[in-house]
Amino acid sequence: MGQYPNFRVIFQIDFKAGKPVYLQLVDQVRYAAASGALQPGDPLPSIRPLAEELRVNRNTIAKAYAELESQGVIETIPGKGCFLKENHSPFSKQVRHRLLITEIDEAVVMAHHLQVDRDKFLALVAERLDHFERKARETGDGK
Amino acid sequence: MNTNPPIIELKNLTRRYGALDAVSGLNLTVQPGRCYGFFGRNGAGKTTTIKCLLNLLQPSSGSLRVFGLDPQKHEVEVKSRLAYVPDVVAFYPWMTVNDALEYFASFRKHWNREIEADLLRRFQLDPRKKTTALSKGQKTQLALISAICPEPELLVLDEPTSGLDPIVRREFIETVIGAYQSSDPERRTVFVSTHLISEFEGLIDEFTIIAQGKELLSMEADQARDRFRKIRVRLPEAAPEINLDDALVVRRSGREAEILANGNGDALLEKLRAHQPEQLHVEALSLEEIFVASEALKKAET
Repeated sequence: MGQYPNFRVIFQIDFKAGKPVYLQLVDQVRYAAASGALQPGDPLPSIRPLAEELRVNRNTIAKAYAELESQGVIETIPGKGCFLKENHSPFSKQVRHRLLITEIDEAVVMAHHLQVDRDKFLALVAERLDHFERKARETGDGK
Repeated sequence: MNTNPPIIELKNLTRRYGALDAVSGLNLTVQPGRCYGFFGRNGAGKTTTIKCLLNLLQPSSGSLRVFGLDPQKHEVEVKSRLAYVPDVVAFYPWMTVNDALEYFASFRKHWNREIEADLLRRFQLDPRKKTTALSKGQKTQLALISAICPEPELLVLDEPTSGLDPIVRREFIETVIGAYQSSDPERRTVFVSTHLISEFEGLIDEFTIIAQGKELLSMEADQARDRFRKIRVRLPEAAPEINLDDALVVRRSGREAEILANGNGDALLEKLRAHQPEQLHVEALSLEEIFVASEALKKAET
């Protein structure tokens, strides 16, 4: 089966998602970090076996890891590989807010087109925050 | 940024067979470290182009450079730096697997024995077996081993997986990603001609589609998947007729429509949303679907 059995995240690639493959990998690592499936200090799979497993170009994996590193999500330790970092964003509070607002705006526009009203939208946000906190707690307890 | 010459550079390449232009004014550039897809229907001119790269055929006009060199003038140097896996492979019938590998190795300055042993094990090829006793899949595997062991700067694959079973195809691609690209990825370039595009989807950085010897579309794979999108929509009963002339392809059936967008997906979506569709679904086209859609592109041009 998998060539990285100790890794708790199963990457999935969808060429029809309309999102570059390397960004799909970036999102999945960020999601795993937010939900606690990946903990600070956890290693990421090395490039070659992951590329072979997903049957994608190794440039794609390298690009995803470079992006995660520039976002401060992972760090590379020479000769050892890539590891998930403590959650310290390298950006200032202002920049962090601006980045988040862009994402929120997209959800707001989506909600408008799906006819989801303000109260329902806010309730959904609260529900998702609870969901992630619960998942992170569960994984934390399991350690 | 990059001072090295491109690995492959075709300028206005033309190759005629009598009155027929098999390749007609083709331009194409492959940078080092890329995996470049070369797609086209049978007879589109793919193999003719590849034969020109290998100096098995000479261009009628235009220019052709491999590693910055003219393959006609520097045939030995060009060939010593690349390896080629054709769609049909043949070996001398009296040779065993081991004989064949030794024979190929004798032409090469460098031969990685470790990779050789590794791949023989992985493919479960018996070195003592006669090459005539190998299945089609095993022959391709042997050709792939002999192409990868010299660790060439350029790997040229011409329809390498056609006619193979799915497991062998999968292993073939994993081997190209793993064994070939593992060391020094900047100096490992792949040029693959295929119409089994979906299998190579993850590997392709950039591609050219050719039709009737001419370039139809050249793009980065990610860009292409962003530009070509399929929209499925179901409109409410009362919706008026919407003008979708700017879509690449439209298929309608009553209130439902399937629309292919060529770079104007957002504008089309906006237009459709204005009619409060009951369902609206967007997805990127896979490279294979883009290849199929390129037929429509050709029609739109003429």
